[in-house]
Amino acid sequence: MKLTVEGLRAAYGKREVVSEVDFVAAPGTVTAIVGPNGCGKSTLLRCVARLHKPSGGRVTVDGADVWARSPRRVARDLALLPQSPVAPEAITVAGLVSHGRHPHQGLFRQWSRQDEAAAREALAATGVAELAGRRVDRLSGGQRQRCWLAMILAQDTPVVLLDEPTSALDLGHQVEVLSLIRKIAGKRNRTVLMVVHDLAAAARYADRLIAMRDGRVVAEGAPAEVLTSGLVKSLYGVEADILAAPGDGAPVVVARADSASPTSSLCDKGA
Amino acid sequence: MSTLPPDSLALRLGGRSVLLPKRATVVALSIVVLLALAVVASIAVGNGRTVGWRAVEAFFGGQNSFARRTVFDFRLPRVIAGAVAGAALGLAGCLTQTLARNRLATPDLVGVNDGATVGVLITVLGSTTASIGAWWAGPLGAIAAAVLVVAIAGGMGTAGYRVLVVGLALSVTIEAFTELILARQQVDVARGVWGWTIGNLNSRGYDVALPVLAGLAVLVPLALLASRKLNMLRFGDDTAATLGVVPGRWRLYALAVAVGLAGLAVGIGGPVAFVAMAAPIVASRLAGAARVPVVTAALTGALLVVCADTLGRAFGPVEVPVGVLASLLGGPFLLWVLLSERSADGNGGAR
Repeated sequence: MKLTVEGLRAAYGKREVVSEVDFVAAPGTVTAIVGPNGCGKSTLLRCVARLHKPSGGRVTVDGADVWARSPRRVARDLALLPQSPVAPEAITVAGLVSHGRHPHQGLFRQWSRQDEAAAREALAATGVAELAGRRVDRLSGGQRQRCWLAMILAQDTPVVLLDEPTSALDLGHQVEVLSLIRKIAGKRNRTVLMVVHDLAAAARYADRLIAMRDGRVVAEGAPAEVLTSGLVKSLYGVEADILAAPGDGAPVVVARADSASPTSSLCDKGA
Repeated sequence: MSTLPPDSLALRLGGRSVLLPKRATVVALSIVVLLALAVVASIAVGNGRTVGWRAVEAFFGGQNSFARRTVFDFRLPRVIAGAVAGAALGLAGCLTQTLARNRLATPDLVGVNDGATVGVLITVLGSTTASIGAWWAGPLGAIAAAVLVVAIAGGMGTAGYRVLVVGLALSVTIEAFTELILARQQVDVARGVWGWTIGNLNSRGYDVALPVLAGLAVLVPLALLASRKLNMLRFGDDTAATLGVVPGRWRLYALAVAVGLAGLAVGIGGPVAFVAMAAPIVASRLAGAARVPVVTAALTGALLVVCADTLGRAFGPVEVPVGVLASLLGGPFLLWVLLSERSADGNGGAR
């Protein structure tokens, strides 16, 4: 399903942190929102996920306004993996993943065959099936993140939102999780929208980049076209070279030494 | 791979399905058996000649009519009142601990029980007989205290944390009112009422147990209905919300049910300490931490209060109020919970 954001504005109190943002995220693609700390990207994602009420504009999934629908109904369209999700004490992987089915359940529909099938598929797709009986709090960071992705997949929504899914992971697990995210988008024609810190990772794994600064979109498009040294300079105030990776030609950002001019960030408070 | 979730039995009929957690079900049934045994034991303990085996025989229809009257008109109503109060406290504690995501968040600690106590005490004001006060004032006082706490805390907050802090402060203040009211009573009235303010089931009978049972008949199903939502609240607010469970709304619902339950419990047995905190923790250790132990917490609470009340009557002619025994046993228990929380796997409870 197509995710559309039109003229979105969001504020904390009187301070506007997202201004007039428009974009469309298409099914089967991964869209990455990048930008410096405090540029409004997380707030934007929260507005889309129905967690922060926008002060203006619309978020629609297949034409239906998410803020006009019930939270439960929206939960069948949109799934979100927060930046640092909280797992209940002592929960097992299977327990965690089966909770993802909640929006499809009811008082007398506590565990249907569809629930079972979706949870199994999610466990298999993320490669955590053999961990099913293990406690989530005893897994490594990379394994845990795959479990959370499994929970999101079990929710079986056409739109998947991810808030910095790789921020706490080492390089190996970053690659693993990002490849998994690509697979998630491709397989069921899901629309994936994620906030990412790492420009190079965003460029390599996303189909589209949305670059934000001071609550506004400053650039949007395919990574190879959008990602220029000028953009890096305007986002982060850093002089950088953009190289093509020897392997696949994906853009790689290399900051020049001593190039930082920390004047750039006008909104550096909060994330 | 077996069924998912692995610890439950999925019962399906047509398009309907119900999950039966295996371990929790076995634990709940075991506690029911223990509770039945405790009730019989409790009936067998008391003053006079109808004690021990004689009382048990009378309970099952034997002995003479005097013995049967002793058992059915005096002992049984008190035991039922105790079980009911314990179940209500255990359930209320389970709800508040879950909604605040903190094991210290129980109705006794956030001022709800104190509000209920003052409510009941007000009904004794000016009375010259040493009556215990009207049970129905318990829920009213509890609601008043809860509304006050939530209002001062400025809403339910993000994780109920402010409610907890404000509640702690207010409970001390409200307690002072209890003392004040007691201090202004005639000595014999004050003495009669004082016993109740530390948690006592003495002279509680059918007249109290039945209306409170009716109240529970409404509130317990409401708590059970919310248990699936409560399970979701254990994930952070963001995850719960994106899974379709609006955290603020369900926290308020759970708080309202908990306040009603705690108020009723105090109305019967006074503010019996620690049951609301201990029952859910014991229940979760027994039934497993995979889900919120709503049913097990209620049963455990009932068992705790019946046992404490029985113990209090078992030794010597002067009975020890159930509240005193609960505190005696509960203090060390609280220490144990707080200390074991810090070690090993204690990262999910008190934060």
